[in-house]
Amino acid sequence: MTEETIPAGADADKKKTEAKTEEKSEEKSEAKAKADEKKADEKSGDAPYRARPEQPLISLKGVSKSYERGGETLKVLQNLDLDIAKGSFEALMGPSGSGKSTLLNLLAGLDKPTSGTIEIAGKRLEQLGDSALARWRADTVGFIFQSYNLLPVLTAVENVELPLLLTKVASSDRRKRAQTALRVVGLEDRMSHYPRQLSGGQEQRVAIARAIVNDPALIVADEPTGDLDRQAADDILDLLEKLNKELGKTIIMVTHDPAAAERATVQLRLDKGALR
Amino acid sequence: MIPIRYNVRSLAVRKTTTIATALGIALVVFVLASALMLANGIKKTLSVSGQSDVAIVLRKGSDNELGSVIDVGAINTIMGTPGVKKDGNNAPIGVGEIIVVGAMEKIGAKGVTNVQIRGVPANAMQFRPEVTIVDGRAPAPGKDEVIVGQRIRGRFKGTDLGNTFDLRKNRPVTVVGVFAANGSSYESEIWVDVDTLRAAYSRPGMVSSVRVRLESPDKYDGFRASMESDKQFGFLAMRDSEYFDKQSEGTSIFVGALGGVISFFFSIGAMIGAMITMYAAVANRQREIGTLRALGFSRASILVSFLLESVILALFGGGVGALAAMGMQFVKFSMMNFQSWSEIVFTFEPTPAIIFRALFFALMMGLIGGFFPALRAARVSPVVAMRGG
Amino acid sequence: MTLVSLAAKNVLRNKFRAVLTVMGVAVAVLTFMMLRTIISAWTSGADYAAKDRVVTRNKITFVMPLPKRYVDQVKATPHVKTVTYSNWFGGKDPKHDREFFAAFAVDHTTYFLVYDDMDVPKDQMDVFQHDPQGAIVGDLLAKKMGWKVGDKVTLTSGIFAREGDWEFHIDGIYTSKSKAIDRSSFMFRWDYLANDPNVQRRQQGQDANVGWIVSRVDNPKASADVSVALDKAFADQEIQTESQDEHAFNASFLASFSAVLSAIDIISVVILAIMALILGNTIAMGVRERTNEYGVLRAIGFTGGHLAGFVLGESALLAGVGGAVGIAIAYPFINLGMGKWLEENMGNFFPNFSVEPNVTTSAIIASLVLGVGAAAIPAYRASTLKVVDALRRVA
Repeated sequence: MTEETIPAGADADKKKTEAKTEEKSEEKSEAKAKADEKKADEKSGDAPYRARPEQPLISLKGVSKSYERGGETLKVLQNLDLDIAKGSFEALMGPSGSGKSTLLNLLAGLDKPTSGTIEIAGKRLEQLGDSALARWRADTVGFIFQSYNLLPVLTAVENVELPLLLTKVASSDRRKRAQTALRVVGLEDRMSHYPRQLSGGQEQRVAIARAIVNDPALIVADEPTGDLDRQAADDILDLLEKLNKELGKTIIMVTHDPAAAERATVQLRLDKGALR
Repeated sequence: MIPIRYNVRSLAVRKTTTIATALGIALVVFVLASALMLANGIKKTLSVSGQSDVAIVLRKGSDNELGSVIDVGAINTIMGTPGVKKDGNNAPIGVGEIIVVGAMEKIGAKGVTNVQIRGVPANAMQFRPEVTIVDGRAPAPGKDEVIVGQRIRGRFKGTDLGNTFDLRKNRPVTVVGVFAANGSSYESEIWVDVDTLRAAYSRPGMVSSVRVRLESPDKYDGFRASMESDKQFGFLAMRDSEYFDKQSEGTSIFVGALGGVISFFFSIGAMIGAMITMYAAVANRQREIGTLRALGFSRASILVSFLLESVILALFGGGVGALAAMGMQFVKFSMMNFQSWSEIVFTFEPTPAIIFRALFFALMMGLIGGFFPALRAARVSPVVAMRGG
Repeated sequence: MTLVSLAAKNVLRNKFRAVLTVMGVAVAVLTFMMLRTIISAWTSGADYAAKDRVVTRNKITFVMPLPKRYVDQVKATPHVKTVTYSNWFGGKDPKHDREFFAAFAVDHTTYFLVYDDMDVPKDQMDVFQHDPQGAIVGDLLAKKMGWKVGDKVTLTSGIFAREGDWEFHIDGIYTSKSKAIDRSSFMFRWDYLANDPNVQRRQQGQDANVGWIVSRVDNPKASADVSVALDKAFADQEIQTESQDEHAFNASFLASFSAVLSAIDIISVVILAIMALILGNTIAMGVRERTNEYGVLRAIGFTGGHLAGFVLGESALLAGVGGAVGIAIAYPFINLGMGKWLEENMGNFFPNFSVEPNVTTSAIIASLVLGVGAAAIPAYRASTLKVVDALRRVA
């Protein structure tokens, strides 16, 4: 199956999307402004990382994470401080074993720190119980995985609809919203295809639609282009950029690919459990 | 040939599934083996009772001792027939016995159960050398004393050594001994002096059956011919062994058929279980199989390997089931015999043939359950090994 | 799409396995119902037996007869309304000598008054009353042997030997709504037997014998007292009796088979265990294969409870469908196939072999309970998966 060019699709959809998100335009421009400001910070060449003046979306203080492996304690993250502003697009890089997946898991509320505090959108994650955390994820986080992780038994639109099952959205609206999200990623003509009938790039776009359908405050992407060829990877990155710039989504992306990291507004480097 | 170690390890890796499937097969084999053992126990119990050089005479038209009535006067006629062995005193060897059914209160169960009571002459134990007193003593002749078979000892009210029960109202008898009889159905009987029983049940002048020892087993045909030519009394003669075989027929067929039908349905269930497990095994190992194929193993050796794996699984289950069934040896199973309408206690009797049959059954379940999955495995293309995931 | 349809879709993920599992459950449910029906059919004889009929027989064995004069004595006992008697004939059709059925000689004037739950059309009964060689047979027996009203049949007797065979006329066919009545019996007139010269010669001028005496009491509660009174009255006579109402008789008969019944009982539970193993195995395999997917669902925000619900729902669905298929097969299989055969061939044990509603109910409950029970461990595992570990695992 050939990949269609996303820009065309995305452009075609831009108007609709904008129409849909008009009520959020204010918030959006604010996010844009923040993103610009952040870019400026990056370029100013100061310390590669510092706390932002405004109340950030994400705030980690003194976060450590260690695992017990065969009687040994493995310290993956050590006393980490990190603030991430609303509307930023940050790439998290580092060699394997540096703890970036662990950090991503903590930011996504999949795991809890051994010590320290994680505050995201006003919630202290380390204080939440298992199901409260699950509920929080359903409301706040959209996930994009390296291997897409679509459910093979569901069609594209059903996969996108999945997170809405956890909300109070009426069933007729669920389908409509899922369809809108698929339009955003340019897959309106693949709605009732099953994952096995889609190319890798298309599968990842379905996954992105699934990540945004709930309108989450935060999107976490774990090597979203790791399994894709250059062309498809670029299309996905274009899409993420568009989500960040036009919809003001805060995105945190773990990647090995320098070209992918380029697209982010902030590049964080993690080495041996510490940010450099 | 792919080494069997590979299959054994694959099974060990999928511990839960392997155990669940093997347990299913074990239950089937257990039920089948138990039913076969019980049917065998019934057969053995009832047929071990008969001796080949002994003939039994009943009244024509009755198919068991309970329904037969023979006039005491006829005993001499029967004993005097040519072919009957004589003892040192030139007296013919034989016993005329009376059988009644007593309703006894079963201990630990509701209601009463029929127990066979045999009125025996003084020489009954000599006549059946397999009958030995294992506890207490032999009854004194002419006294109200009884001995009980060891299988029903204590199972009914008043049937343990030293106990007393009413043969009939106001006719108490005392248990003075317990006897063994080589596992035969006699062990489920109560023996009492023939005259005591006759008096208690007001059956003067009659017996139920007459057994005679023949000079040799081949004298039987002649004996039978002369018995049945007697128009006056209307006798029916049978070899004792044949008689007991017939007694067990209905009951062992019943148990065998019930066990067979149940095992049949059970095995379908277990086979489906094995099939599910093996299909999953094949599905999860597509890549592994592809690699084996790429390494040069033929389709046939893949097929054989997966069949073997299924068979190992089934035999493991079968072994567990058969082993558990062996434990049934220590269980006593009491049941009404369809012919005598009285309760006989059976045991589960294992034989190598039964264990072999049960394991063979497990093997078949493994083969049938594993065949289609193995076929699918054999069809896996070596290209799969190259493909991701 | 809803949470329920999501669970349903997962069931069909591996269609072949789902079909096999449903088949496995169906076979187990069918077997379970078959075994439970054996128990219920066997015991129904006792459950439905009339409590107001007292059977008096020879204390030694029912094979031995009672003097006919006892009938009058029974009749004189308080609470006894009607009395009848019969003899076991041991009849066989020489043309089909492997077919077993119960044949009795019955007192034609009273038998069907005592057994008023046997329904004989009035015109047929009138013919029977005036035909010395008349016989009334059960509808199941008539069907099996191909007999029709008006047919002449000859039987041999294992007990009453005679020059030549016994000849009867089928005057009537009885049916019964009672579940305790064997509809494969053969009943003919007692006087035909008693008047036969061969039988009379055998009696050598003594009083005629009857096999057993059945009396109808005016109040079912009195039957125990009547039984005791009868046995007491005959205790000092030359032949003692044993009287029991039909219900007690059947119950004590059943008690002799209690080991068989409890064995069947246990086996019916064992088949459920096998079913749970098959089902649990299928579900556990599904959970294992889908670990990664469950991780995704958890990441998206589904709780452990949701996942447990999916797993339990899947299992309940498989068990429910399997149970429904099993029950759907069980009805024709048990009622028409096996039941018919047993009623015709073992009517005295299984006068009424068909699926009872409570057997079906317990099959439904058993399959659902097991459906949920079998999935308990996999469901627990799914719900306690660590999201991070689950995501790492590649199916």
